[in-house]
Amino acid sequence: MPKCIIDGREVEFTPGQNLIEVAKSAGIEIPLFCYHPGLSVVAQCRMCAVEIEKFPKLQTACSTAAQDGMVVKTQSEKVKQNQKSVMEFLLINHPLDCPICDKSGECDLQDQSYGYGDAYMRTSEERRTYVDLDMGPVIQKNMNRCIHCTRCIRFGAEVAGIREMVAIQRGNNTEITTVDGRPLETDYAGNYADICPTGSLTLKDFRFKKRAWFLKKTPTICEGCSRGCSMEVQAEANVIYRCIARENKEVNQHWICDEGRFNYHYVQESDRVIEPALLRQGALGLSAWKDSVLHSRQTLSGKKVAVLIGSDLTQEEAKLIQQFAAEKLGGAPVFHFGTPGISSSAQDDAADALLKRKSKTANLHGLEKLGIAGFSSLPSGTQAVLVVRGGRAVLPQLAGVSVVGVGVFKKAEASAFEAVLPGVAFAEKDGTVVNFMGMEQRFKRAILPPRECKTLSEILMMWTNL
Amino acid sequence: MSKLLSQQFYDEMKKLEPRYPTKVALLLPALHEAQKQFGWLPGEVMDEIGTYIGIHPAQVREVASFYTMYNLKPVGKYHLKICTNVACCLRGAEELVEHCEKKFGVKCGETTTDKRFTLMEEECLGACGTAPAMMLNDDYHENLTAAKLDQILASLPS
Amino acid sequence: MSESPQMFKPHFHEEARPLAYYLAKMNGYTALKKALPMPPEAIIEEMKKSNMRGRGGAGFPTGVKWGFIPKQSAKPKYLVCNADESEPGTFKDRDIMRYTPHLLIEGMVIGAHAIGAHAGYIYIRGEYTREAKLLNQAIEEAYANGYLGKNIQGSGFDFDLTVHRGAGAYICGEETALLNSLEGKRGEPRVKPPFPAQSGAFAGPTIVNNVETLAAVPMIINNGGEWFAKLGKLEKSGGTRLISVSGHVKNPGVYELPAGSVTIRELIYNVCGGVFGDKKLKAVIPGGSSAPVLTADEIDVIYDIEPLMKVGSMMGSAALMVVSEDYCVVKLLKRITKFYAHESCGQCTPCREGCKWMEDILHRIEDGHGREQDITLLLDIADNINGKTLCALGDAAAGPVSSFVKKFRADFEAHIRGGKCPNA
Repeated sequence: MPKCIIDGREVEFTPGQNLIEVAKSAGIEIPLFCYHPGLSVVAQCRMCAVEIEKFPKLQTACSTAAQDGMVVKTQSEKVKQNQKSVMEFLLINHPLDCPICDKSGECDLQDQSYGYGDAYMRTSEERRTYVDLDMGPVIQKNMNRCIHCTRCIRFGAEVAGIREMVAIQRGNNTEITTVDGRPLETDYAGNYADICPTGSLTLKDFRFKKRAWFLKKTPTICEGCSRGCSMEVQAEANVIYRCIARENKEVNQHWICDEGRFNYHYVQESDRVIEPALLRQGALGLSAWKDSVLHSRQTLSGKKVAVLIGSDLTQEEAKLIQQFAAEKLGGAPVFHFGTPGISSSAQDDAADALLKRKSKTANLHGLEKLGIAGFSSLPSGTQAVLVVRGGRAVLPQLAGVSVVGVGVFKKAEASAFEAVLPGVAFAEKDGTVVNFMGMEQRFKRAILPPRECKTLSEILMMWTNL
Repeated sequence: MSKLLSQQFYDEMKKLEPRYPTKVALLLPALHEAQKQFGWLPGEVMDEIGTYIGIHPAQVREVASFYTMYNLKPVGKYHLKICTNVACCLRGAEELVEHCEKKFGVKCGETTTDKRFTLMEEECLGACGTAPAMMLNDDYHENLTAAKLDQILASLPS
Repeated sequence: MSESPQMFKPHFHEEARPLAYYLAKMNGYTALKKALPMPPEAIIEEMKKSNMRGRGGAGFPTGVKWGFIPKQSAKPKYLVCNADESEPGTFKDRDIMRYTPHLLIEGMVIGAHAIGAHAGYIYIRGEYTREAKLLNQAIEEAYANGYLGKNIQGSGFDFDLTVHRGAGAYICGEETALLNSLEGKRGEPRVKPPFPAQSGAFAGPTIVNNVETLAAVPMIINNGGEWFAKLGKLEKSGGTRLISVSGHVKNPGVYELPAGSVTIRELIYNVCGGVFGDKKLKAVIPGGSSAPVLTADEIDVIYDIEPLMKVGSMMGSAALMVVSEDYCVVKLLKRITKFYAHESCGQCTPCREGCKWMEDILHRIEDGHGREQDITLLLDIADNINGKTLCALGDAAAGPVSSFVKKFRADFEAHIRGGKCPNA
């Protein structure tokens, strides 16, 4: 492997790798704004300029491919002076609104100002201001904070495949915008906020909800479709405030779709059934766990039973159910459900050119691997059904049978159920799902479930032992 | 949606299309041609250009707004662009601008209330040897003096 | 100087424009007939011998540039003429295009043959509406007479030429910005590498040459590279040069002189008749407004690339601007800086933010509200821009600021201390 020397250290690299990546592999951080590993290189912010032997001028590390024997300095006086100057230029027009900016605490501009900028400013000129037009429901724009890195423009053009976010005017008046305040069209708009190095583009959904430094961050997998994108859940005191994309070269690069990003809301909606309930005089009412379990058991007892499980369950949960159906429900057949019209992996095609799959649940492929068949209709003579769902699978129409629900349901969905035994949602449990590529992906619990909700193994244990 | 751009526009584009390996390359010529028809570039016209070329309307805006010759707002019947760059300033362009501001009763960048004149300062026109120079619509006028300018303006059809 | 050969200037009049004149009086298209049977390498070799250095501003040897084009290419190759002529002070290419358009066309066909391009574009600044029309008329004539199009002069060589109008952006004179503009994009310079010779217009190998450079090609082919090289009076610079002289001289205009044959003093006082109104000379901007300024004491320098570099300035596009003592240099620098701030594309940080900042500070000084520390600040900002931007526009903006402030520091201090222009 070829080697170059960075700050006196010999570093191996793969031909074609740029100096930012090579330095990173050696644990040397080169500050940057416009560079993003998932986007084309434009060398615009000039923050990553480094000194290279035999080059009279500083060279931007992002646009310079490492060469065998190249000698690079990232800490020289010349380099530091340039970083200081770039910071000064970027801050001439940046408002000092960090105290009320949602990006504060996780802002590249703030961190690098702290790390590489000067302690004082020499500018007394009036700052440049813009009037912000709307951009639709996902993104809040604040152009005054923009440092013109153009990551958003490149994301739109190169990744989302739509040139809706553009720079208009030029020079000092350059403004990033959509046409006349038209809403963003892409289903991937949330990424605009993820990659913005300042608070110019933030999530409306997250706006003024929580300071970034209070958030507990848990890596997870998105349950929004069968791709299983890497994602991070950010929560405080058991409340999820935001989900952001996590890099995964094989699955989703650096991106997630809006559907997956904002999917978490159901977990903490007020219409979620979070206490055990059973049907009394035609209405679902709260009850004690014991009563609900007994009622559930009774509802299925002595009847011809079928078990329907959502393809939003984990492998571990599905195996428990398989065993439970075989041993405790007299070998009742088990089927999976999840996305209307998609009942097998063969039907699960790409839903767009980027990430989305047609199966809108995370584990269709895993359940199929366990030999569970897709649900089409109930076996004739079925009298009662046990529905087990993670929260996202779309419930099939079930008429003329008694239904017991285990897992996560909205009140309206469960209104005709005999009983509901409230379970845990994706973010509230550990488990494994299998994506459409056959990759088994394990994830950890990000928040605790509501007090009365129980894991599937706890519920089945009660069912068996009560 | 009925078309705003003329048949002449579409004929001209048809003629130019084989000259370029991509259709997007027609964008600058298209904006010029559209401006010839309307005098400026209304949003709906830019949308129609985007549809014709097959690009997002935002892409039309980002390009149109980059170049100073494209008028994104309506301009007067006579569009005066007086060069005030170095060579023209050395030869008295600032006085010409003042003269026009007084004459029209508008500041640079504005249009007279009768919509007859729009006055603008222009960057170097590449006519420095015959400074001061200005563009009046598409035409150059060089070696200007206040008197010569008055003469030119007086000869314009109403 | 009257005996020095002039290839362009004698034909800079309206009658020279038609093809008939070009054929009858200028050996029109004889170089093309000579070049078409020549192997491309031989043409490039002749260009190398000629010591032709790009007339757009960078002064890069044209033959060497052409040699960078790969012989084989999966993508079509292009020859692009940079007729953006936007560096303030420059107006020579306009004369070539409006008076001798066929020189340019013939030069382009020969150049295209040399690099193996079958399509070419003349990217002309949008304001030159009339020149674009005249070029198009000449191109039509050339097509009608078999100098453009399919099977040119029975040689089997095809070349199509199209005039592409810009729309008001100085930066499109930068070759990669020009290519973006040609492709229908914002005129923003590209990151290099890749250089246009590898991946230029529409991602094909591309050569971008200035109008004057290409228009000289027929004479080089007809008379030989060595002949052209010998026209120049300095070792590395061949040919004659079209010099645009403007500002406070008695006779502004385009002059044609052998490269390196005069000093700036001779140029102003002998060639152009001296300073307007016989005023005292204050300053000279020798190579378009981006060239660092020279004082009246620095004009005994030979007007060519290397000598000007040695005194810390540059020849650029050979556009000399003369400033007499009664024009305020602070005001002048503010105007220059305003131009670069206006023309910055806005991509890269130092240029986008720094040019406007310098403009604001200069505005303040000119208005009499400057502060003592503004002088150091200006020099600092210029240093922080110079050499640190993506394209040369940053340097173009920084050079004048550094040089004006250093060389005319007293004028700046007088504005700051006096609270107004001392001459106002």
